[in-house]
Amino acid sequence: MANERSNSSAIGQTLIAGLWRENPVFRLLLGMCPTLAVTAAVKPALTMGLCVIFVLLCSNIVVSLMRNLLKPHLRILMFTLTISTFVTIADLFLKAFQPRMSETLGPYVPLIIVNCIIICRAEACASKNGLFISIIDAIGMGIGFTATLCVLAGIRELLSTGAVFEIQILPLGENGGWFTPWAAMSMPVGAFITLGLLLGLVNIISRKKT
Amino acid sequence: MFRIKHFIKQSWLLIVSAFVFGLLIAVTNAALSGRITGNEEDELNNLMRSLIVDAKDFEKVIKEAQIPGGKGKVNQTDIYRAIGSGNRNVGFAFVAVGAGFADKIKLVIAVDGDCERFFGFKVLSSNETPGFGSRIKEDEFGGQFRGVPTSVLEVVKTGDVEKIDSQIVAISGATVSSEAVVKIFNTYIGEIKRQLQEKGLISNGK
Repeated sequence: MANERSNSSAIGQTLIAGLWRENPVFRLLLGMCPTLAVTAAVKPALTMGLCVIFVLLCSNIVVSLMRNLLKPHLRILMFTLTISTFVTIADLFLKAFQPRMSETLGPYVPLIIVNCIIICRAEACASKNGLFISIIDAIGMGIGFTATLCVLAGIRELLSTGAVFEIQILPLGENGGWFTPWAAMSMPVGAFITLGLLLGLVNIISRKKT
Repeated sequence: MFRIKHFIKQSWLLIVSAFVFGLLIAVTNAALSGRITGNEEDELNNLMRSLIVDAKDFEKVIKEAQIPGGKGKVNQTDIYRAIGSGNRNVGFAFVAVGAGFADKIKLVIAVDGDCERFFGFKVLSSNETPGFGSRIKEDEFGGQFRGVPTSVLEVVKTGDVEKIDSQIVAISGATVSSEAVVKIFNTYIGEIKRQLQEKGLISNGK
């Protein structure tokens, strides 16, 4: 009974780790390239997040299944091979079913191959744990990454266009409202400022907790 | 013999995985490539149709036309003929690519049936600065190309955007993007005209 409880607690801990304690963006500072590049609006950020979840899940499953066969000196090569396969598949699916979004995301989908979160989870979790824990880890980390991207994108989209998810929230000055769009927020400078402020906020919150 | 055995023992997983993953990608590509090509053709057709309103259909008349892009670079593009009612030639369209401020700019440019005036352009893909260079997609800038003779165009910083002539007024704060679009027009149009004349698709003006 106690064993079952500790098992379910470990699963819960693994799932929650990606959302806060080991959040890939706010706590581990991994995957900065898509975090800064595709968060000008929520739709591309969400699509990128879903692609990362798909790749993370598939690569964790494959790496976990082959973990006992991996030679130490070939493991990074095997991880990269696995990740690049699923990234290529995700890219093809996006081009086939979401061509507009694929155009918007441009090279950032193929660049998931070099996203440190995925190779980090393959190395730190999937190559050392069973299939179930690896799947839970991929889901937790993937959701954590996607949620972070969406929060960042939500703030930037709201301040740069007055809309979130393309739904107008703040009344624009040109339509008789009071809000003047802040174009800088949709540019790289907006990404750096928003990420910096959010990182500061997360640090303040976590310092208060400890 | 020992070396071969050692090599296989060390790398069999890598070889098998590469084969399996390659197969997986090949199957996915085979299943989706038709849809991907269809999407690209649909996008191009829609843009060409929005530029040449009289067009009922499009026919590829020159495949992979070679366009010298300067510094020894050669661009390739397909030239489409717009077919109107009664099989009439109502225009030509082609995809043109050039360097923008942040990334390549890909345009669809349309000209009339005699290749004497531009119908205008639409942006197929670009990654220009939002709020500045991205305004090349807006009608205020694109409208300046509508009806302009197919000669060499020039960018000016101030002027009347309503006036139809070879002087294109740059977008305020996005001179580089404006110049990039005009440069694409100037790079392509002379060569496109020459190749259409060579194929006898337009008169050579003599």
